[in-house]
Amino acid sequence: MGGRGSEPMSTEGAGTGRGAGGHPGEPPVRVARAPTILHVDLDAFFAAVEQRDRPELRGRPVVVGGAAGPESRGVVSAASYEARAFGIHSAMPIRTAMALCPVAVFLPVDGRRYVLASREVMAILGRFTPVVEPISIDEAFLDVAGSEALFGPPESIAAAIKLAIRAEVGLTASVGVATTKLVAKIASDLRKPDGLVVVRPGEEAAFLAPLPISRLWGVGEKTRLALADFGVRTIGDLAAVPPDALRRRFGEHGAQLAERARGVDSSPVESPQDAKSISHEHTFDVDTSDREEIERTLLGLSEGVAARLRAAGLRAGTVAVKVRDSEFATHTRQRSLPEPTDLAGPIWRTSVELARPLLRGIRVRLLGVAARNLREPLQLALFTGEAERERRAVEAIDAIRKRFGPRAVTRARLLQGGVPEPFERDPDRRPGARGAGDPQA
Amino acid sequence: MKLSLMQENLARGLQVVGRAVSSRATLPVLSNVLLRTEDAGLKLTTTNLEIGITSWVPGKIDTDGALTVPARLFADIVNSLPPGERVDLETDGADSLRIRSGRFRAHIKGIDAEEFPAIPAAGERPTTRVSQKVLKAALGEVAFAAASDESRPILTGVLTRFAGDRMTLAAADNYRIAVKTIDIMDPVEERALVVPARSYTELARILADTDDPVDVVLAPAKNQVLFHVDGIDLITRLVDGQFPNYQQVLPAGHSTRAVVDREDLLKATRLSALIASSSANVVKLTVPPEGGSTVAVSANAEIGDNEGEIEATVEGEGTSIAFNARFLTEVLQNVDRDQLALEFNGALSPGVFRPVGDPDYVHVIMPVRTAS
Repeated sequence: MGGRGSEPMSTEGAGTGRGAGGHPGEPPVRVARAPTILHVDLDAFFAAVEQRDRPELRGRPVVVGGAAGPESRGVVSAASYEARAFGIHSAMPIRTAMALCPVAVFLPVDGRRYVLASREVMAILGRFTPVVEPISIDEAFLDVAGSEALFGPPESIAAAIKLAIRAEVGLTASVGVATTKLVAKIASDLRKPDGLVVVRPGEEAAFLAPLPISRLWGVGEKTRLALADFGVRTIGDLAAVPPDALRRRFGEHGAQLAERARGVDSSPVESPQDAKSISHEHTFDVDTSDREEIERTLLGLSEGVAARLRAAGLRAGTVAVKVRDSEFATHTRQRSLPEPTDLAGPIWRTSVELARPLLRGIRVRLLGVAARNLREPLQLALFTGEAERERRAVEAIDAIRKRFGPRAVTRARLLQGGVPEPFERDPDRRPGARGAGDPQA
Repeated sequence: MKLSLMQENLARGLQVVGRAVSSRATLPVLSNVLLRTEDAGLKLTTTNLEIGITSWVPGKIDTDGALTVPARLFADIVNSLPPGERVDLETDGADSLRIRSGRFRAHIKGIDAEEFPAIPAAGERPTTRVSQKVLKAALGEVAFAAASDESRPILTGVLTRFAGDRMTLAAADNYRIAVKTIDIMDPVEERALVVPARSYTELARILADTDDPVDVVLAPAKNQVLFHVDGIDLITRLVDGQFPNYQQVLPAGHSTRAVVDREDLLKATRLSALIASSSANVVKLTVPPEGGSTVAVSANAEIGDNEGEIEATVEGEGTSIAFNARFLTEVLQNVDRDQLALEFNGALSPGVFRPVGDPDYVHVIMPVRTAS
């Protein structure tokens, strides 16, 4: 896993601001169907890439993250399984990790190589079904319904994917196979590394029952403690609590918990081509309330969103921010822009303003910036003003980045904090509307 | 005031001035038409403070006077009277009007004529004259390109530049520009003004397809211009500000030129717009290198795609360029020639549209940048 991983985010449809998980309003009626949803999760991703590229590191404890050194204030982004044996885990301060295992190899984050490996893996997934929803740099959901005739039953597809990733990229992945995204994700995590867990239709609740509730989406430390008051420790315990009681205690969130405890999750796998929005998200290694870090992260995310808008020849009419706190409570706000844009500046300024009221009194786990209400390809103007000059500068920068890499030109503000490259869903493919004049379309 | 007019003359006059009546008037009197006896008839005047229209209707005057009455109501009543009938109008006190025609009688309340804004009359010698037919055609080729939103007020106007015996009209909305130069009958010292495109649209309605001239009077007030044809005055305020230097954005050369039939291209564009309008309304023109004999018009959207080919005579390099279908359709609809030359300089430079055989018109549309 790279960093702490991220929570599954549905690729949001226009205007809907729902967070992870199911639709609380829908009745939990599901026709039993084949377990065609796969969750593919690369094992100890950053560390595994390092071990792949440097054979001398194989079999040794490897820790990726922060700047190494006893004075380091950084945190662990990824730890190899050998390092985990010493009790090292992601989000742990590097100093603590060094104390636990002084002989471990400590390496800085090398985002470029991880992005390349990630793209190779995503390309492999795309061979098995067009319905691939990447949710972070090292994990994705697939729906293989309809692919069985070509590649056999879902568990065979899962095995074939694992094999292909190992043979072609040199990494191992764990795969969960189930009828819902929720259960598939929990299943993939169960037998790491190199695991393959299939949950048969109708067995979801039984599969989940013995697991600790912390495995469920939306159960953070506070919720876990509050549920302990109900005597709830496992997901099965939670499923036994009357949904009404949960709703009374936790409101809408309680209703979602009741559904999830039974494995109910109606969110479909959505590939980014269907997206009516372009979004970048970042999960902090350590939850933060630091204003500077939050604004800097929003800037990095806005840059990423704007670059993808430009690559797609689209402009955003609306900007949305998503803030998730340490309790997994997710809040979104959005605002229409006076003029559609594909520039980072206005997206960033809007996202900072939108985020401000959401940040009071919380520690932020995840930030997201989304461009919505995507507009037509850019109509060039006759009488060019300030905006057009800025555009030209930005286009020159895009060209430089394309040739010399994404870090060749960067904002000074982004230099200081080492904000990781925002996760790209699929940087080379245009979302949504294919415009006329697109030679690839 | 007491007079008699023929129903059809009065109805025509009211129709001409009706275009300048404010629909959402801030001043109630602006919803009214001013009736004033003058010489051997009735002068009808309306204004929305941007434009004022005056029309003279011949009639038989018994006593002089003036009054304003609600323009829409008065016109509706007059239009409903039988043609060929005489209509008698008579004021009843300071602010109401009696209408009689045959066995019909009405009485409508108005507003004192004193409250109506003063509208300058032509009176003075015209600054110059232009063939009605020529000006009407030029306005049709230019005025549609002006901006309709008020974000840059200057672009809602049409630059009108006099120099010697030529008059140049230019309209732009930041994405396209139309320029036409026509002859005028009396030379004018160099002078430029910006006339609201809406005023020109009204003027075009008033102008007839005749070589008879329309008088242009630049004098009455610095910020107004007046046009006069037989029996009708149209006066408009000018748009303040500096019109952008459009000559700077007219491309000097081109690397691709294709001559096509205007009607063919219009049909192909409309067909592509059926697909294009489902998303960004972008259509693409693909011109083959020299020697090719067709231009492809295509659209590509979520809902589907299409492509049509039209015959063309091509010179220069092949290229592909995308435009907003509306801009393309509008120039093709409004240009008054059968053949058009398309001149391009790659996908991101302005596209130029020139009617073959009319060196005095040029239309430029900025392309749409599609994904690279």
